Amino acid sequence: MSQTNVQTVDFDARARQVLSQVPLLSARDLEVTFSLRGQKLTAIRGASLDLYEGETLAIVGESGSGKSVFTKCFVGMLDKNGSITGGSITYQGEDLAQYTEKDWLKIRGRKIAMVTQDPMTSLNPLKPIGKQILESVELHQGLKGKAAKQEVIRILNAVGIPEPERRYKQYPHEFSGGMRQRVVIAIAVACRPQILICDEPTTALDVTIQAQILDLIRRLQREQNMTIIYITHDLGVVANVADRVAVMYGGQVIEIGMANEVFFDPKHPYTWALLSALPQLGVKGEKLPAIDGTPPNLFNKIKGDAFAPRNRYALNIDYIEEPPMYEVTATHNVKAWLRDPRAPKVEQPKAIERLSELVKPAGTDPNAYHPHLDPNRETLVQVKDLQVTFGSGRKKFVAVNDVNFEIYKGETFALVGESGSGKTTIGRAIVRINPITKGEILFKGERISGKISKEMDTKVIRSLQMIFQDPMASLNERAKVDYIVSEGLINYHLYKNEHERQDKVQNALQEVGLLPEFSSRFPHEFSGGQRQRIGIARSLIMQPEFIVADEPISALDVSIRAQVLNLLNELKKQRGLTYLFIAHDLSVVRFISDRIAVIHKGQIVELAEAEELFAHPLHPYTKALLSAVPNPNPYVERVKQLIVYDPSMHDYSVDKPVWREIKPDHFVYGNQKELDGYAAELAL
Amino acid sequence: MAKKQQRRKTVQELEQPVVKLDVDYSAVDKEPKKERPYGRAYLGARSAMPEEQLFEFAEYRPQDAEKIGYSNYSYWKSVWQNFVKNKPAIVMSIVFILLFIFTFVAESISPYSVATLEQDNKSIFLLPSSEHWFGTTQAGKDYWVITWYATRVSLALAALVAVGQIVAGTIIGLVWGYVRKLDRFFTELYNLIDNIPTIIYMTLIALMVGQSIGIMAVTMIAFGWLGTARNVRNLVFMYRDREYNLASRCLGTRLWRVLFRNIFPYLISVIILRLTLAIPGTIAYETTLSYLGLISEEYSLGILLKNARDSFLRFPHMLVFPAVIVSIITVTFYLVGNAFSDACDPRNHL
Repeated sequence: MSQTNVQTVDFDARARQVLSQVPLLSARDLEVTFSLRGQKLTAIRGASLDLYEGETLAIVGESGSGKSVFTKCFVGMLDKNGSITGGSITYQGEDLAQYTEKDWLKIRGRKIAMVTQDPMTSLNPLKPIGKQILESVELHQGLKGKAAKQEVIRILNAVGIPEPERRYKQYPHEFSGGMRQRVVIAIAVACRPQILICDEPTTALDVTIQAQILDLIRRLQREQNMTIIYITHDLGVVANVADRVAVMYGGQVIEIGMANEVFFDPKHPYTWALLSALPQLGVKGEKLPAIDGTPPNLFNKIKGDAFAPRNRYALNIDYIEEPPMYEVTATHNVKAWLRDPRAPKVEQPKAIERLSELVKPAGTDPNAYHPHLDPNRETLVQVKDLQVTFGSGRKKFVAVNDVNFEIYKGETFALVGESGSGKTTIGRAIVRINPITKGEILFKGERISGKISKEMDTKVIRSLQMIFQDPMASLNERAKVDYIVSEGLINYHLYKNEHERQDKVQNALQEVGLLPEFSSRFPHEFSGGQRQRIGIARSLIMQPEFIVADEPISALDVSIRAQVLNLLNELKKQRGLTYLFIAHDLSVVRFISDRIAVIHKGQIVELAEAEELFAHPLHPYTKALLSAVPNPNPYVERVKQLIVYDPSMHDYSVDKPVWREIKPDHFVYGNQKELDGYAAELAL
Repeated sequence: MAKKQQRRKTVQELEQPVVKLDVDYSAVDKEPKKERPYGRAYLGARSAMPEEQLFEFAEYRPQDAEKIGYSNYSYWKSVWQNFVKNKPAIVMSIVFILLFIFTFVAESISPYSVATLEQDNKSIFLLPSSEHWFGTTQAGKDYWVITWYATRVSLALAALVAVGQIVAGTIIGLVWGYVRKLDRFFTELYNLIDNIPTIIYMTLIALMVGQSIGIMAVTMIAFGWLGTARNVRNLVFMYRDREYNLASRCLGTRLWRVLFRNIFPYLISVIILRLTLAIPGTIAYETTLSYLGLISEEYSLGILLKNARDSFLRFPHMLVFPAVIVSIITVTFYLVGNAFSDACDPRNHL
């Protein structure tokens, strides 16, 4: 992986292949309208697309861009209140846009199948999974009895489910999330469809599982010669799977081209913005080039280019007229006025060039201050032998066990782990939402866990604040922004009069980049990114010293993540804040944090300075996690070697594991034998 | 505000035609024909800006990008707008309001009054006539004034009991649902009270304490909060662990504030539904109690219906008038309750 410009995938050959073919499926000027409580929402505003046999086409876009709705039209699965109001979808000489429900039965599942995002909801919990696949096999392949069952077992084997005969009889709840998604894929491919539409199939899964599912989809495609449409918002995943990429915005395809063209030579300002806002391309300590604002509201009639208000390169005509599709190469089309011969010439942003060297980080600001390197570093928060359990008696569950770490004043300390690893539990234990069972938590040397005095309680609440993951759930929908932001002020009466309170609220809103007049609005009027910033304003108003940020960007759209990351970094600089940044995405963590702790099943397995962790990961779980991180460079991403972590590799029966500082500021969890191995690895 | 107006002006300027000019795309079209495989934007491409300006950079205003979709949203205004859309509920509310006003007016337009009614053996069970608009009772009293008086009594009782039950039920339900430690206690209390039929409590209290309508009202409240409390508790469970409540805990918000600012507003639609259904419910219950002889009030809709029991085959007016009034009240509150609880649900707003 050290050579950067090795072209591991021959996109040119694929492009020639595409150009020589007649499209398998082609959508033209498709328009889809939904009626919602008497209002019309145009979700797809004339989107066009060609799909060629045997390729993987990725559709990228943020929520509300219409990527999901667009592809649902290809299987006739639009929600009841939506309908195709214009355009055509040509497939095998017929127009799918005119199909009735009866016609769809010939196509759906047999020719075009779909895998959806949530494996929990797409399986019937009351039926063994074997039966569920059997239904599909019997219905579409016409097999009966033994032969059908044999086919099911073959399919289960093909999607990588071990012991298919035993698993055949099991129910969905007996499967893990990743295994469940394999079953959903098994159902979809059971009748050998020509086209498989994957709608964010890995979004709900952990990175390591995600990498495995991506591998599986690619293998199945090769074996069955399927054509795949892959919908995602994650550019790393796109780099992994896509031959061609279509970028959607505001219900239209605005750029489409071979993966290498879209990644290395994008032409649409939105694609530029999307790529340069990637934390992987950012310079640590500097601002990410964020996209301001929020995606368009499709209830309104959009005039001109939907992206214009957020576009730094917007021309006057962008506000007046919708741009046409311009051809860049035979396979690369862009819908932007900037490509017009009359438009001024604009260079693509510098950050995108860094994509081609994306194996190492884009760099670090040399002047940045790293608190842990400071000899006079001050410990702000200390977690000692922390244990948190849920439930009691037989149902007792140890969520976090034997966790030790220190957070220094002024640093961003990241806690990375997969879902269910206990990272959120630790964060919540520090702000005292979750009671702890063992150990203690110190803030500036004073114990804050367990029973504490009332003055201490007030002090802790004012200095420790939390930012939550889901901006939709973390604001009280029935209160105005004014109340939400000033809730802490009211609780401790931190203002002299009403006027001062309002001033404080408006200052806080301005500080997070919102307009002061927003204070009289209700949360549902805001987009995810704006809501997240309201949440940040709410904790800032207490003037905290320490903030637990619990996955603050994972529920946000790609274009908005950079805004929030920038804001957090900005606040850290201005106010000298310290963060505990909880995340599952290592690429974000590398950009934002000084030190990283990796947690697995309630146990911190490794803790080191960010670059040190990436350079010398020791624990096998850390290695597995690092190997699975999607890289937005298609050439690198396509050849990455996945390391699979198997916890049974540790033999802790005799030799008990310990938490050891193996090198200054680099901690790892293991028994004596393993630690010796790690030390030898470091010495190399 | 000033900033806002200024911005609007610039957008207007942009839209205002400077020079009317049709952009001619034929020149562009001539060059590479294949360049545009698709794109409907070319159809009817017309614009009102000189071409050289069209392709100049527009002023970039981050403030504009921050702009939000809707504005001037008010919760109660939206509730009202949604409620008004429900025509049957509006019609029935008007009918009910007229009926309610009429209960006060009816006596004064009649020559009789409840206070001065006397037994009159000559005019027993008279059918409705110009003299006795609703006929007379078995005691020869004017049924018109009696019916309207009884309606007033029943409505007052129903309102008192319904409000009492809902307030008690909501408060208990909130605490029951939110404070984990008290869950067990309230669940057991609920089971204890709920497993014995209420009518037994009612009979016991009527026999031991007395049969006045006031005592019955208190008893009905004391045992009637159960349903609401359980309903509220189940809803609180849904909202209790939402992140915004965790946020409030991080900010040190007191329990009562969390209950009333964070959770109570989400329950409004359910509470209003239960409140409106409790009113006809109480009237029906009062009828049952009267029928069983547990209420010793002289006149109430329940008592009138009970009295009509023996005579309504021969003298249907005894049953028809109170029954029609009870039906109007029941149907109105049912329709209004449903309409209002739907209107209160913010998912139906926008």
